[in-house]
Amino acid sequence: MSYFLQKEPPRREQRLNACIASGGNLSDMTNRKMRCCVPDGERTFTQNNICLLLPALGMMNSIPNSVVLMHGAVGCGSSSHGGNVGVRAGNNHRWGVIKDGTWLSTALNESDVICGGEEKLEAAIREIDEHYKPMIVFVVTGCVPGIIGDDVDGVVQRIQPEIAANILPVHCEGFKTKIWATAYDAVYHAIGRVMLQDTSENLALKKPEKATVNLMNVSSMGRVDELELERLLHTLGLEVNIFPVFSKPEKMYAMTHADLSISTCPTHDDYLLKHLQEKYGIPFVLKHMPIGIGNTSEWLRNVAAFFQLENQVEKIIEEEEAELETALQEFKAFFKGKKVFVSAGEFRALATAILLAELGFEVVAVRSFHHDEFADSEYEKLSKITAKDFPLNIANCQPFEEANLIRRVKPDLFLGHMNGNSTAAKLGIATNVIYNVGLQFVGYQGAYQLARRLYRQLTNPGFNQNISKWVQLPYSEDWYQQDPFAHIKQSEGEV
Amino acid sequence: MKHFIERPRFTCALGGAIATVTALPRAIHILHAPPGCAGNTAWTQMGGCGLQVGGYCGGISIPGTNVQEREVVFGGSDRLQEQIQNTLKVMDADLYVVLTSCVTEIIGDDVDSVIAPFQNDETQIISAETGGFKGNSYLGYEIVLESILKNYVTRGEATVKGRVNLWGIAPSFDVFWRGNLEGLRQLLSRLGLEVNTFFTMDDHLDGIRHASSAQLNIVVSDVFGWQAAKISQEVHGIPYVVSPLPIGPSASDLFLRRVGEALGLSEELIEAVITTENQRYYKLLEPLTDCYNDMDLQRYAAVVGDSNYATAITAFLENDFGWLPQVIVITDTLMEEQQERIVNRLSSLKSGRIPKIIFKGDLTDIAKSIKEHWEGSQTRYGKYVNALSPAFVVGSSLDRPLAQELGAAHLSISFPVSNRAVIDRGYTGYQGGLRLIEDLISAIIVNR
Repeated sequence: MSYFLQKEPPRREQRLNACIASGGNLSDMTNRKMRCCVPDGERTFTQNNICLLLPALGMMNSIPNSVVLMHGAVGCGSSSHGGNVGVRAGNNHRWGVIKDGTWLSTALNESDVICGGEEKLEAAIREIDEHYKPMIVFVVTGCVPGIIGDDVDGVVQRIQPEIAANILPVHCEGFKTKIWATAYDAVYHAIGRVMLQDTSENLALKKPEKATVNLMNVSSMGRVDELELERLLHTLGLEVNIFPVFSKPEKMYAMTHADLSISTCPTHDDYLLKHLQEKYGIPFVLKHMPIGIGNTSEWLRNVAAFFQLENQVEKIIEEEEAELETALQEFKAFFKGKKVFVSAGEFRALATAILLAELGFEVVAVRSFHHDEFADSEYEKLSKITAKDFPLNIANCQPFEEANLIRRVKPDLFLGHMNGNSTAAKLGIATNVIYNVGLQFVGYQGAYQLARRLYRQLTNPGFNQNISKWVQLPYSEDWYQQDPFAHIKQSEGEV
Repeated sequence: MKHFIERPRFTCALGGAIATVTALPRAIHILHAPPGCAGNTAWTQMGGCGLQVGGYCGGISIPGTNVQEREVVFGGSDRLQEQIQNTLKVMDADLYVVLTSCVTEIIGDDVDSVIAPFQNDETQIISAETGGFKGNSYLGYEIVLESILKNYVTRGEATVKGRVNLWGIAPSFDVFWRGNLEGLRQLLSRLGLEVNTFFTMDDHLDGIRHASSAQLNIVVSDVFGWQAAKISQEVHGIPYVVSPLPIGPSASDLFLRRVGEALGLSEELIEAVITTENQRYYKLLEPLTDCYNDMDLQRYAAVVGDSNYATAITAFLENDFGWLPQVIVITDTLMEEQQERIVNRLSSLKSGRIPKIIFKGDLTDIAKSIKEHWEGSQTRYGKYVNALSPAFVVGSSLDRPLAQELGAAHLSISFPVSNRAVIDRGYTGYQGGLRLIEDLISAIIVNR
């Protein structure tokens, strides 16, 4: 049975056997694949991080003409104050208008916990429909309704006929999964179930005349990155529609008209792309992330192969790579042999590490937020290009392991996710963010822009060096003497 | 009444508690929570707290149990026990504070019985029940203070003359908390007082531990910090005095007199300090006199903020700066008696004018109320229009579209402040009034 027929998507721990705890070397991963990971209950000491709600909100807040109703305690969703920065910029970059996202909270209190929050939720949805008149109301379930047993889907199903807006229930109970990539499935699930129905309006949508592709972006790319990929796809003569961030609700159904769906990150999109294939017969490519020189070329080749444009694409790639190579020359001698440590979501970390190796850096450690089967090929690519073994850590952040590792491998440069650079910074390492929707990372242009930023950062890493002399990380001296992976539980099963 | 709040201007009790513990010197939290509560607070700070995220141990460095369905079903006490045991090995702090969450409170884990075996002379560990559904981030600040006063501060200490504790400013959710606390410490030190502010660079755990030796507790809020003061009176026998957040000379004069009176300090000393500070303040303001007048920098104002800022900024604008505050919106959730206190406060401005006072936390409601007042206050005779213009909106960064619609200049002060970088700027005391003038005028002349 299709997952999309169920009320909520499965956890990724279950669907993909994804895991978040492993410590060892790159060679362990390439040799043993998934088996090195422990799926659940993974560490005897952990640090708190984010839950699936945060990236899910990043997607939902971007949708024009939508309202995000957070059903939970008043704190759930306050991350939108941070996410709103990206929404404002995203709207501005696409339509020249600075506009905030619209998020609301049912602000469940103690009496709601005792009496249940369904009535409040129903009243809130009715009020929103009347006052905001949005096309979409995302009804997002936090931990509290998940535990007290509010039947959110039941409420939505019952009142939808009386509500003009499309109500999309999105399950984001943080206690149900530690793999926050489940967020993408949660939002895709709701979009797939509600916005891709064969309504008369949807069926009246005009089909494209030219070859058209869906380019998937779950908010890991800003407009500058989208433009680079559009540029490359246009050279193949393809029309490009971008989903789901910042896509207009009335146009979402258009994703069922494409000739091909293209993922920019297999961690993000497999759930929806498989559904589009099964239900609407749209094939997809879900391989490679267009970050790095070789990976961008491979990504483009895959798309071209589908449209039987093999000869055309080779010419494009040859020209693109040659031009980029010339432009990179002024940095490469400076980068040569400098040690770099990378930490991010699995695909992003691996693709960026490969890019850094292409730029001449020596990769000395990699951390990935989780691990699943999609990335096996990337570990092999990384292993091939670095030709050297080094520490590999699967961790949903856990900066205590990172601090310990950094002291051991002593990198010159660290690239971490947002909110994930301060550990290295406080140790005096030059850092650069590996993901920020305002900056450019993707495609050939992204490779160049990253090189420029790294050159600038390495030329004067004074901010971090200075701060490291005067501030301490919150770890005991004893911890640095321990094995960085001492708190990872050994798998009880067969290794 | 609506059944939702649009873009609430606070986070939950746990978020407030996380920021409060992060601000304590040499303290580290242990979150008994699902994964996500620390990251949610970090992203909230990143977007709303003047670019200040975390501290010694904040953001995603905060240890936590990351409870899942297993703990929901079987209870999370074992996981918490394991987590505490290893936190003591990995982390480096002098005080550990276990904070509970929505999930662990609903499942009913008995945290105190888990932490009891860990408490000894070497290890200071306390807990606070900070489930997010209990209330907003200001409440989280209050609950942590309460736990510290009950469980960490020593009892039966001899009173030290001239030593005071100061509460009422919640770290992070008063975005200017560092500067505000520091400003008040400096002000009170003019009276020869030793001020324990708990959260600044000059505070330390030893001072907090012996907070029970204070002669007086000072609360600079009509709402926040009251519970702490009541508990300290009950447990440590320390009296307290309440003042609104003192911004600028008029409020600072009153503040000094009230504290001086409560401590029985000589009137001469207090009046001498007040005179010196006023002289200094107005001498520093003197060179602005030309431009203030020539450029016609007086404004009608709408003030949107939490109960501390809404009242304090209104009083400053009206009493000290000669502006005309028209509508005041108080955005945090208040009880009836707290609302009455605020209304009384705003009804005793020097001019005798009473601005329109609104208690609303929902963005659409706030903007609608202010626009209605602005439109309703306009008179028109043919081509002659008497509108509330020129205007200024002092609020949060969420109020920028409103300011634009009113054709008003705008400054973000109350949470969320996404468009300013804040380190230790503060608005309290006489100095703080000058900082506020700089920021208000700079916002008006940004395109000059």
